[in-house]
Amino acid sequence: MMQAGDVLSGDARDDLLAAKDLTKTFGGLAAVKNVSFSVSAKAIKAIIGPNGAGKTTLYDLLTGIYLPDEGNVLFQGREIVGLATHEITALGVARTFQTIRLFTGMTVMENVMVGLHHRTKTGFVKSALRVPSGLREEAWMREESLRILDIVGLEMQAESLAGSLPFGQQRLLEVARALATAPRVLLLDEPASGLNAYETRELGGIIYRIRDMGVTVILVEHDMGLVMRISDEVLVLDYGEIIAEGTPEEVSADARVIEAYLGSEID
Amino acid sequence: MDGKSNPTKGGGVSPGTRLAELVKRNRAVIVFGVFILLLPLWAEHIYKGISIDILFIMRLVGVFTIAAVGLNLLMGYAGQVSLGQGAFFGIGAYTSALLTVRAGFPVWLGIALAIAISAAFGLLVAPVLRLKGHYLAMATLGLAIIVFVFLREMTWLTFGNDGVRNIPELALPFTHITGFDLPFIKEKLQRPELYFQFYFIWVVAIVVLALCANLVRSRVGRSMRALHQSEVAAEAMGVNVSAQKIKVFVLSAALGGLAGGIYANLQGYIDPNMFSITLSISILTMVVIGGMESIWGAVAGAAVITFLPKFVEAIPKWVGDAPKWLERYSNYEGIVFGLILILTMVFMPSGITRGLSDMFRYRRSPFMNPFRRKAVE
Repeated sequence: MMQAGDVLSGDARDDLLAAKDLTKTFGGLAAVKNVSFSVSAKAIKAIIGPNGAGKTTLYDLLTGIYLPDEGNVLFQGREIVGLATHEITALGVARTFQTIRLFTGMTVMENVMVGLHHRTKTGFVKSALRVPSGLREEAWMREESLRILDIVGLEMQAESLAGSLPFGQQRLLEVARALATAPRVLLLDEPASGLNAYETRELGGIIYRIRDMGVTVILVEHDMGLVMRISDEVLVLDYGEIIAEGTPEEVSADARVIEAYLGSEID
Repeated sequence: MDGKSNPTKGGGVSPGTRLAELVKRNRAVIVFGVFILLLPLWAEHIYKGISIDILFIMRLVGVFTIAAVGLNLLMGYAGQVSLGQGAFFGIGAYTSALLTVRAGFPVWLGIALAIAISAAFGLLVAPVLRLKGHYLAMATLGLAIIVFVFLREMTWLTFGNDGVRNIPELALPFTHITGFDLPFIKEKLQRPELYFQFYFIWVVAIVVLALCANLVRSRVGRSMRALHQSEVAAEAMGVNVSAQKIKVFVLSAALGGLAGGIYANLQGYIDPNMFSITLSISILTMVVIGGMESIWGAVAGAAVITFLPKFVEAIPKWVGDAPKWLERYSNYEGIVFGLILILTMVFMPSGITRGLSDMFRYRRSPFMNPFRRKAVE
């Protein structure tokens, strides 16, 4: 058991989000094994690795969807393992999903407004009675969601049904919805998958804009062009373990990374 | 009706505009309220002609509307299929009946406690919400069966199959002020108590409908619809999914209890067989054919399901001698409901209300053709 003093001491304090020795096994198979890493504020960190390397499982551990078998997660020096997902979101860790999970039957704006849920508080009684404070909050939610939609360039589609958007815009809406939770750390899960080259470039710009707003971005991505262009640091996972970590240049020159991606050279 | 007004409209409007906005927003409630207010004027005139006592039946429609709108919040909006609404209805009915008959409580207090006890029971069984989909439907079905058996077997409390008799009639705390006791009204109306019950029930029902319509258009309503579509995503967006589900479940139970409480005092007599699983299935049918995710669908569904048997009963009176099978309608009513349920699911999955409003708004057929080949998939 860690002492509170330990948690706050050392480098954990400077890091916004830190994972320590995270391990998660499914039926004897380690999906994530002894993974430790940290991100400092306002950085863009990419997590790459072949399919099945444990990237999405790592996200699920960070956001409280799974409990790790071992290890812990510190957010702003506070241990967050064991908290419910919605509590972790409220603290400031938001995510998007690899397989798009929009509320397809709701409008674009309503999707973003759900992201504002924990920042607002009008409950059942006040909502049913439409008390003035609730109406003011509702008006604020509309303004705020339009402001957020503007960041990803979807404000013109605010009244469209989320499910009717083209695929690329659905990805952007996922980002907007996560941004609405006012995160300190935003975990993006393959945001560029299914996007064309133009859309991917736009996405890069949006990620920069989000970082400039003071949000740390962690990015699981297969599009190496995007990863190498925008990340400050890259973490490479293979079979649930970290095999390399460093700047994009360092990582792309790493022999083990090349092996993991291209297979070992024939002697 | 769907509250999708211009998002840029904010505060700083004149009182006149605000009133106009209020009327516009609540136009469905207002139109329906006027319809209910004026209904006795024509309903009483055609009663003799069509042999259907519209006013009499509309009281029941109001009661079932309340129960159905509660279930629609849970099932239509929050996506938690429940076959147990009849249980809460039954608990509400028995609470009100037993408290008024055995303990001599005033009717209004009996109904208030019917809401409270049903809600409390809802909270007690709320852990079933951990189940999903069919499992939840099965568990709530089990709940309905258990409650039914308890009502029948706990004879020391509920009188068992003998039922509860002489339940006091619906009355407001200060009946003399309502004016229905006044002699000139009694002379004017042949059935003053029927009028009172009709208006009482519909005032309650319209208030419930208006509150629920507000609720579903709010932050809370959005979180319900969100967790319906993806619990994982809703949770990741900061919605406390399990707490939210419990709250909706308890609200749904409370509305079931309110409907049951009114029902007991309306009927004057209840027995356990009124609250068997058939009731739960009827209420579910009301929600589905009226339209999931539709507050007004509850009214339409309750009206169709409640009027249908009365309509069939009236047919022999119109045509003289009707075929035998028509007279035995009540024996196979369940089959008819089941058939309606299936046909609605297949041809009008979004329900009557949505189907008809789409027909008027977009001028398209309210029916779906499920057999049409789709371009994709």
